[in-house]
Order: sequence, then C-alpha cells, then structure tokens
Amino acid sequence: MPSWDEFQPFIVTGLALGGVYALSGVGLVVLYRATGVLNLAFGAVGAMGALIAWELINNAGWDEYPAYGICILFGGVVTLAYGLLFGPPLANRDPLVKATASLGLALILLGTMSWIWSDKARSMVLPTSNENFMVSDVLVNYTQVLGFAFGVVVMIVTAAFLRYTGLGTAMRALANDREITATLGVPVRRVEAAAWAGSGLLAGVAGLLLSNLVGLDATTLTFLVISSLAAALIARLQSLVVTLIAGIVVGVVNAMITPILSISEYRDMTPFVLAIVALLWLSRHREISISRSA
Amino acid sequence: MSIKLVSGRLRQITWLAVLAIGSALFVAACGGDDDSGGGNNANVDVKETVAATDCGPKKGQKATGTPIKLGGLATKQPGTDFSEIPRMTEAYFKCVNDNGGINGHPVDYVIETEQTDPGQAASQARKLIESEKVLGLVGSSSIIEADVNHKYYEQQGYNVIAAGIAPSAYATSNIASVNMGPRYSSDGATQTLIRKKVKKIVLVQSNVPGTEYIQEGPELITKDAGLPFEGLKENVPIQDANSAALKAVQAAGDGGGVVLNFTPPEALKILQAAQQQGLQDRVKWGCSTPCNTDFLAKALGDAWDGKLFVNAELNLITADAPDSNLYREVRKKYAPDIPLGSFSQMGFIMGRIATEALQDVKGDYTKESVNQAFLDVKDFKTDILCGPWYYGKAPLHLPNNIDRTVTPKGGTMVQNEDCFPISDVDPAVKQVRGIEQKDPSLIGK
Repeated sequence: MPSWDEFQPFIVTGLALGGVYALSGVGLVVLYRATGVLNLAFGAVGAMGALIAWELINNAGWDEYPAYGICILFGGVVTLAYGLLFGPPLANRDPLVKATASLGLALILLGTMSWIWSDKARSMVLPTSNENFMVSDVLVNYTQVLGFAFGVVVMIVTAAFLRYTGLGTAMRALANDREITATLGVPVRRVEAAAWAGSGLLAGVAGLLLSNLVGLDATTLTFLVISSLAAALIARLQSLVVTLIAGIVVGVVNAMITPILSISEYRDMTPFVLAIVALLWLSRHREISISRSA
Repeated sequence: MSIKLVSGRLRQITWLAVLAIGSALFVAACGGDDDSGGGNNANVDVKETVAATDCGPKKGQKATGTPIKLGGLATKQPGTDFSEIPRMTEAYFKCVNDNGGINGHPVDYVIETEQTDPGQAASQARKLIESEKVLGLVGSSSIIEADVNHKYYEQQGYNVIAAGIAPSAYATSNIASVNMGPRYSSDGATQTLIRKKVKKIVLVQSNVPGTEYIQEGPELITKDAGLPFEGLKENVPIQDANSAALKAVQAAGDGGGVVLNFTPPEALKILQAAQQQGLQDRVKWGCSTPCNTDFLAKALGDAWDGKLFVNAELNLITADAPDSNLYREVRKKYAPDIPLGSFSQMGFIMGRIATEALQDVKGDYTKESVNQAFLDVKDFKTDILCGPWYYGKAPLHLPNNIDRTVTPKGGTMVQNEDCFPISDVDPAVKQVRGIEQKDPSLIGK
C-alpha cells in the first residue's frame, strides 16, 4: 500500500478531474430536467469543439483565446441545433428513446472526428497549465484548479439561476410537468432551447478542460461522458449538489485507486460501481409488490 | 411469475444507466490500438539527390511483359490503419513498372484489408492466394494475420515479406519482417535507459492481450543488468493520464527509468501529464518505436527536447542517403497522400527487397520461383535499416535486430544514439544471432 505522501498528488489530480465530471454532470442534469433528454453526445460535442480549437490554433494560425471561444460556442451551437431539430419530434417519446437518439449524434460526431483528424497524437495545453504552485510536496497547476473551481462555480450559479430567474423557474416547471407548463403559457420551445444551448456551452467548456487534463483524443473525450453520467445518475438526475459531490467523489476515488497496484487495473470501473451502489442504496426502502395474474 | 415493481422514475434511471454502460462498452470497443510504428507528417526540406526513375533498369520505359502478380494484406479499420504500408509498396512497384519493370515484367499488386477479425483475415489470405492467384506476398501489415495465417502460408509454400505486429511475424519459418515489432523495440528502449544509468526500469503498456509476451524481453534485459524491474498496464484509452504518469514515476522512483509502449496518442497523454506535474526530470523516459513521429515531437514541444529516448527501427525520414532520398521521391511522385514516416518507409523497403529478389529469377515467374527468390534474399543493404536484411531458411526471422535511438528536438525527432544491437539476453535475439553466426553470408560476412 502506498504511503500518505504518495497518495497526496493523486488527490489533486482526482479533484481536478472530479470537478470537470461535476461540471459535465450539472450540464446533463439541467438538460434532463428541462427536456427529459439524457444527452449521451455531451462528450463527443466537447471533443469536437476541442479538436476544432486545436485545428484553428495549429493550422489556421489563430490566437488561443478566440479558438477556445469557438470550442465553447461550437458546443452550444451543435447541441442547440440538435435540440431544435430532434427535440420536438422526440418530446413525447420515452427517455430511453431520447437518450438513444443522442447516442446517434455521438457516433456521427465520433465518426466525423476519426475521418478528419485520424488517430495521430495531438495535445492541447492551456496557458493555465504553465503556471503552478506547490501544496506540501505536490505541484498543482492552474488548469487543475480551474477544473475543480469550475465544477463548484457552475453548480452554484446554475442552482441560483434555476431558483431565482424566470427562465430557471420555467425550466423547473417543465421538469415537473411539460403539459401543464405549456398550458400555463410558458414558451416551452424557447425554454428548452435555452437548456440545450446552456448544456452545449458546458460541453464545450468540459471538452476544453478535459483535452488538457486527459488528452486531446476523440474516443477518450467521447467516452469520458460516462463518468459524468455516473455522477448525474447518482443524483438521480435531480440534485445539482449531489451531482457535484458525486462527480468529485468519482474523480478522487478513481485517482486514489491508481497507486494501489493490485486493483489499479480495475479503476475504470469506479463510475459504474459507485453508480450501481448508489442506485441500490437509493432503492432500498422502495415498496416491492409481487403479483401474479390469473 | 414475479415482477419487481419499482417506481417509474427509478426504473427510468436504471434503464438509462444500463444504456450508458452499454454505450461505454461500445465506444470502448471502437477504440483502436496500434502497437506498430506511427506515421510522421513532417515536411522535410532535404536536398534530393535521386529521381524517382532510379527504381528500375530502363529509365522512363514502361514494362510490357506478362505481369507478376503479388499481394499484401493490411489492417484497416477506424483508428487503426496500416494500409499505408502496402500502398507504399504499391507506389514503389508503380515506379518499377514505369522504368522497365522486373526483367521487363510489370508488377500487378493486389491489396486486401481486414478489420482484426480472424475469420476475415483468413478468408482474405485465401482470396489472395486462391482467387487472385498471387505468386508472392509482400507488404503485409496486420495486427492478427501473421498469427492466423502463417500455417496456411506454410502449407501453400509462401514465404511472406511483412511489416509484422503479431508475435508470429517474428517467430516462424515463413514470415520475415522489415521491422522488429513492439517487444524488441521495447528491448531497445530499455537498453538505452540502462546505458543512461537508471536505477530501475518500469515498463508501462496497454492492458491488452499480448503484453505479457512483450514484457518478457525488457524484464530479462533489466534483470541481466542487475536492476529491479516492474511492469505496469494501463487501460486504453487512458482516462486519467495525470494519475497514470504519477503511478509510473512513483514506481520507478527518483533516478529510475520509465519505458512506454503505447500508440502515439496514448504515450502523448502520459508524457504531457508528466510535464504538467513537473515529473519529466524525476525519471528518464524511454519509448518503443510508435513514439518515433514528428507529430509527437511537435505535440510535446521543447520541454521534452533530449529528455525522451525513442527506439527507432528505421532511419530518420530526413536522412540524406540513396534509399532515403529515393523513398521520398517515389512517395512524392506515386503516393503523395501517404505521409512520410515509418509506415511508408517499411512499405518502400519491402518493395525494394521484393524487386531486387525477383530480378534474380531465371525462367518463368511462378509461385515456386517467386517464393524461392524471397527465401534466397541475403545481405540486402539499405540505408533505411541499420544492418543487412535477409530471409534464409530458419525457424524464426528477426533480420532487423540493430536499432537507433532518437529524441525530440525543436518539434522533430533527431538521432540520439547511432545503431546498436538489440540485446541477446532476449532468447529470440540470441537464437537469431546464432543463425547469423552459422551462416555469416546472410549479413554479408
């Protein structure tokens, strides 16, 4: 078993990744609450935004910050376009159908990325990664700080937005009952569009941060949505606070298992194991009835 | 009979969880793993001293004789595309055909691809031999086909010239590769770090089948040097590169050495994470051949100049030497869409070897004469390889067993160590050296 000193740097990496998982989880939960769609294309949208930013910086000679802006904007625009195009026809379908449709978008984006950018090695180093400081004996860079801080800030701002703004109230109303909300005169399409766009912008931010914290690779970034999804599922797609905590726990537990060599190979199971344990725990008091039809 | 009723919401969430896990497995299955050499997109600016007409005996004269039909089989699937290799072999043959051919005969070259499906790899091999009726197999590069097909090739009397990946490409009597593959390349990277006086070697690889076979070589070499060894595996794609880099560095300890055996994108994740955590000077870093790409050198930036030692199975793509210059000229004229890099270098060499071997055939070109010509290749010298290449009758073939070391410098890979022999502490290398000693003419002695 590693010593405490050896564990410390893993806490830092876990907190940074956990923050981004939380940020992504918040984006997923907000969209689910407003539209009933679990967006499995969240990671792919962020990945493609990050690759576009890389292309603009490295091959089109753009400055870094406008390229980062395009990455975030791409997330918002693509997600909004998908929502506007497929949201209405799928509005009354089962959540499973809606989620599967978003998986289609993920696979289209993944295929497009493989086609355009092949599998060559690329990297995206944010300027914040070049600045660092020491905590005890652990080197911490500002992208890691940003990853964690963004998760917390986005959760707080989103919670306040949903609680105190008219649009936020409309989103919460939609989450409770779409039909009644529409009957009351709330512009459902517009509110849903705002949720799609907001969630897409968060996908862009997450893609940018993860391309630095994890690597600029289409498959990896697309795949990483699963960790955020686990956080959202632990929160039962409802609570933003629980999503934040779950995201951070997933990130930290995953990282802390890494130096324990006997189980290190299995650490990618962490999000699934935590989600399953949480779902079982949450369902422990549910009434179970058994019936037999004649 | 019994139906568990849970609330609708929880059931929805459970279904979504199942869907999410299914999606994750699907996406993970889509991730390719490429353990061979990577491509290299550098724009080289080297004075070319040869023209693409230098690949045949009669400059500018098209070959008009009966075609010699040859074939190659490569893996081509999303994320893993080795078809550049036989395509470059094909480019060389086009050049030969435009310049007199092989004793007046043009080469008719057929490329088939497979998607790491054993059944498909087997049927594509049969298609080449039984339907296409190719007389010889050259330019093949597949993740699985050597393991799947080598017995069939043996039964059919084919001596294959390949760019191998699977273990059988280096352990059979009827396949000879122009590269040395991940095991012996990891051996070379390990030797380099030992020469740089590291205190321990940690080999980090993808957690995929076959890594135990690769690990055996570096482990034997490290222990022979009296140093401790540890093998680590990472699931790919790597999702937490910072932790993976930290784990490797902690395992190696201060003054230790870490050898990576990954595809370029995965190796880059670990190296970049190491840099951001200030770990690149805590240990010495080595890498097997896939890291030998200017793409990786450029992505790493100046921070890694002279700090990463990559085993290189082939010469630098910028080398100013006859075959290297011809390689660039042929690529430019016949396959400009194929990137400069180790893949296309391998394809070029295989075309050169096959052409030179077939020039010596007396009489008709038949399956027997073509495969005998391949088997007879010995002391084939090219500036792209460190030593002479040969085939010969032997239970195994590892003719490329002398390598270089390269390191990043200013966004490209430059030579760090000149050619050195892969250690014969690795039993297969020892066996091959014995074969060379028994028949020194194989290597021109």
